[in-house]
Amino acid sequence: MPTLQQQIADKFLAELAKSTEVSAEKIERLRSVLSAAKKPKADDFVKVFTEPDHGDIK
Amino acid sequence: MIKLESAHIEEVRGIRNLDIDFQKSTFAISGPNGSGKSGVIDAIEFALTGSMSRLRGRGTKGLSVAEHGPHVDKAKFPDAAFVRVKVFLTDLGKSATVTRKLKTPTKVVIEPPESDIAAALAEVAAHPEIALSRREILRFILVEPTKRSEEIQTILKLDDIGQVRAALNTAQNRLQTAHEMATTQVQSSREALLTHLQLPALNSEALLGAVNKRRTLLGLPEIAELTSDTKLDDGMTSVAAGQEFNKQSALRDLNAGAAAFPGVASQAAAEAAAIVTDIEKLETDPALLIAVQRRAFVEKGLELVDGPECPLCDHAWQSEGALRAHLAEKLAKSKEAQGIQRAMLSNASTIAQAAVRLGSIVAGVQRLAAGQGEAAFAQLLTAWKTDLEGLRASLGTVDGIVGLKERLVSAWPAVPATVEKNLADLIAKVTAKPDQTATVDAQTFLATAQLRLGDYREAMRKEKAAKLVAEAARRAYDAYCGVLEAELNTLYEEVEKDFSRFYRLVNEDDEAGFTAKLTPTEGSLGFDVNFYDRGLFPPAAYHSEGHQDGMGVCLYLALMKRLFEKRFAFALLDDVVMSVDTGHRYQFCKLLKTEFPDTQFIITTHDRLWAEQMKSAGLVTRKTSVSFHSWTIDTGPLVESNAEIWQEIDRALSKGKVEAAAAALRRHLEFVSRHLADQLGASPQFRADGNYELGDLLPSVLKRAKDLYGKAIAAAQSWGNTAAKEAIASRKDALSASNGAAGVEQWAVNKAVHYNEWANFGRKDFQPVVAAFKELVEHFQCGACQSFLFISPRSNPDSMRCACSAVNLNLAAKPKT
Repeated sequence: MPTLQQQIADKFLAELAKSTEVSAEKIERLRSVLSAAKKPKADDFVKVFTEPDHGDIK
Repeated sequence: MIKLESAHIEEVRGIRNLDIDFQKSTFAISGPNGSGKSGVIDAIEFALTGSMSRLRGRGTKGLSVAEHGPHVDKAKFPDAAFVRVKVFLTDLGKSATVTRKLKTPTKVVIEPPESDIAAALAEVAAHPEIALSRREILRFILVEPTKRSEEIQTILKLDDIGQVRAALNTAQNRLQTAHEMATTQVQSSREALLTHLQLPALNSEALLGAVNKRRTLLGLPEIAELTSDTKLDDGMTSVAAGQEFNKQSALRDLNAGAAAFPGVASQAAAEAAAIVTDIEKLETDPALLIAVQRRAFVEKGLELVDGPECPLCDHAWQSEGALRAHLAEKLAKSKEAQGIQRAMLSNASTIAQAAVRLGSIVAGVQRLAAGQGEAAFAQLLTAWKTDLEGLRASLGTVDGIVGLKERLVSAWPAVPATVEKNLADLIAKVTAKPDQTATVDAQTFLATAQLRLGDYREAMRKEKAAKLVAEAARRAYDAYCGVLEAELNTLYEEVEKDFSRFYRLVNEDDEAGFTAKLTPTEGSLGFDVNFYDRGLFPPAAYHSEGHQDGMGVCLYLALMKRLFEKRFAFALLDDVVMSVDTGHRYQFCKLLKTEFPDTQFIITTHDRLWAEQMKSAGLVTRKTSVSFHSWTIDTGPLVESNAEIWQEIDRALSKGKVEAAAAALRRHLEFVSRHLADQLGASPQFRADGNYELGDLLPSVLKRAKDLYGKAIAAAQSWGNTAAKEAIASRKDALSASNGAAGVEQWAVNKAVHYNEWANFGRKDFQPVVAAFKELVEHFQCGACQSFLFISPRSNPDSMRCACSAVNLNLAAKPKT
């Protein structure tokens, strides 16, 4: 049974998927942050949004 | 989830050694205050979660499970204190044994050691809300809306969700600030380009006009169109393209600096003054200053929380949730501080942007000074630029801003004293240089223009990227808030419906139209209830305390139902059912039986009558209930049963302790007579205070029993049932004989046999008294199921019977034709 937290996280990511502002890569990184055992910090989210979608490959 | 099969408790709280067979069923534990009931709840909660809610939360500072969980005589030998419970895991269909020592609350031994069992038990351990005590239920009802919201969010484990929202908000604020700084950089680099090009406004045509004029002079083809990869110095030799010093351009930059520096003090002056006013306000109100500083400190701490240890002071809390609630409460208390904090940070942001722009001008002059061999001046400018960067950083925090008061009062740009003279000297030096040839001027003009166009393009690229990032973060935060609000509204609607239904079920006789309204707003949860169709009011406005208690239990059940849904299999209710008044207890049993048929409740109560009512209502049976009649520090709870109470009296008598035996007999008779008065519908002389004594109750019970037997005999006769008539007459005679032996009817007239005198009896005189009352009590019990007789229905009864119907006397006479 999904917890309330999981339900909210799933709906949140589904809502973001409809937006044009947040890429699929960022959504996946957000999913990863939200499902990690460690509780998410602001720095984690800053990294999600600032890291280029092509990753750190130059 | 789980069902509890059995528990073995050793040296925990007030318990020395106790085994209880819970049979995976709803179970009642009754006994007077201080008899050890709550110790059982503590022990079970500890075995399942590693914690005891009694030893955490408000008013428990300095208490810990390891130190205060063991029996007081084993405080120095905590190894001896442990709990072992056998549970049935409903999802897995398996049983497991869980053993936990109080010395090591976080270490648990699980048998069999299978991973799926460990995972299922870990899920249980993550839900301390399975235990609810009476002191906790009013948390939901009587607290102010902000606190209620916290309490309910804690029980629903919504603090994690709140943390995600807060982290997303912090992230989007930071990225928004980063975007603002990137925008400022675009403005600065744009101004630098315009100054060099000597253009009032930036557009492609004007830029190409200025550039092509120099390109033509150098014999280079004109640039027809400015694209993203256009190079303004395209075609120049690499040596010429690398030359950046253009005398005229340098003079323009230096003159721009000379014009700007004297006036920088007036930039963002209004914001600086506003900050100074706020700082002075804080200085005259030290409490407010502390609140603001503490607010910033607590916000940082809240951001750093990652476990039950406080990141600010290292204090270990019972749980991370408790720590977060504590910090959030501190923040909620400082509304005025929050207003000042926001104003200061907003004004500081404007100054920070001005500092970025000034820093760009300083950097341009610094490069020229270094290029012209003015090392000391270049060093001064480097130091100033570094100072401005430090200023910008300090403007990002409240503490940093407060520390800048003197600088904000005087002039925040802190223009170095010699800058104007040094700059004038540098302008003179550059002016004195021979004019560059038209060719060199054109070459350096193009090289510098290309360099500044590159800076501008890079700044725009970064600003565009920062804008996209900020927009994505804002969109994510808004989406999370929207989903969260929608989910919580749905949750509260469901809880509101369930709560209202549960409360109506318990109070269907007088509040069948009861409704409630939960009103969630940001950070708080309003709660109003209908009072007899007169409107919605706060629970404490008109409802009695008993009704408010009942609301607390119903709200808890509604929340648990929402939290666990069909997996709400187990809950510990420590004396909370007591809060339901006598007239509504059967309905409460009905609520538990009908709405939570698959949930095992472990219920404690200090009201023995209520414990018996749970049996009568079929919520528990004699096998699924236990009664503690007393407690001593040496023995722990003493379990009551009919057999044991008589043995206990015999033991006391055998030791010559008549006083103890008399007290035990009287206590037991008080319980039995009160219970029978209720079950048989006896009519003792009414007492408004409800403090009926044994002398009020027992004679009344005996009289009622005789009347009922008389009615049963008459009914049997009306039906022509001679056998039944004789059997009932025989019971009636036996009752009279027992009554005579016990001497109850003599109490009022013969002081020598009154129960108040029992303690003064000799042992041999008291033994027949005990025997007589034992026989009298047994007369009202079924020999098969041991339950006490009761009438049914309670008003205008048509039978007197026991729980198993082995005794079932008809009271309804044959209708006359």
